[in-house]
Amino acid sequence: MSLLPSCRDVSKVLSDALDTGRPLGLHVRLHLSICETCRRVLSQFAVLRRGAARSTAEGPPLSAEAKARLRRFLGAP
Amino acid sequence: MSTTDPATWVDAYGDRLFRYALSRVRDPGSAEDLLQDTFVIALKSRDRYKGESSELTWMTGILRNKIFEFYRSQAKDVPLLPSDEDPDLESEFFSGRHWSVAPRDWGGEPAVKAESAEFSAALRLCLSALSENVARAFILREMEGVAPKDAALELGVQPSHLAVLMYRARMRLRRCLERSYFATESA
Repeated sequence: MSLLPSCRDVSKVLSDALDTGRPLGLHVRLHLSICETCRRVLSQFAVLRRGAARSTAEGPPLSAEAKARLRRFLGAP
Repeated sequence: MSTTDPATWVDAYGDRLFRYALSRVRDPGSAEDLLQDTFVIALKSRDRYKGESSELTWMTGILRNKIFEFYRSQAKDVPLLPSDEDPDLESEFFSGRHWSVAPRDWGGEPAVKAESAEFSAALRLCLSALSENVARAFILREMEGVAPKDAALELGVQPSHLAVLMYRARMRLRRCLERSYFATESA
């Protein structure tokens, strides 16, 4: 059995660390130092976080139909 | 201090509040209903608006509460999808200790790509493919910035299960974006 955690273990730890803010342990950092794939996943998790935080302002507008209905409801002429 | 004329609200705030709702409930009909509920409450309580925050911030706060109510009502009605409870979900991604399909390089500067409107659209599509609880966990934590303890409460799960839901959300969103958004980029 390997002393280093597996990619499976590391991917979980990376996700947990984003939620808890706890620093990564030595074994995980060692794994990352030799595993390009897991380093990639770490940066992609961070991209997800960044993209999600800003996605609120994006998206389709309210439909013209719904706008008309809500305007009537709010007493617009 | 009171609010502006409610007759102007749809034009001033309609699109922004709708996008806010849609990014969190994922279905336009529900987002419209929540927006209407928000205007109803704003109308009723407009005399109490003190102008301490902008009108948009005030209405966003109302909408946010309505969204949480919506989540709670749905949590009662909708049983968890089997995939939420599948203990062996990781076999989707791993074979033994290693990735079954190794995550690819997304190319360029991923952090810059995350800022684009196209990325947001792709993320929304990928979110809509997740099961309810997994999507909500991600929305509460990453879009709302709700603390883990509070997000677990909102979802009615133990904090340890929230971590599982977040892991599933990240793994599936990562793969979905790689297949949809980043695949077309590198093609």
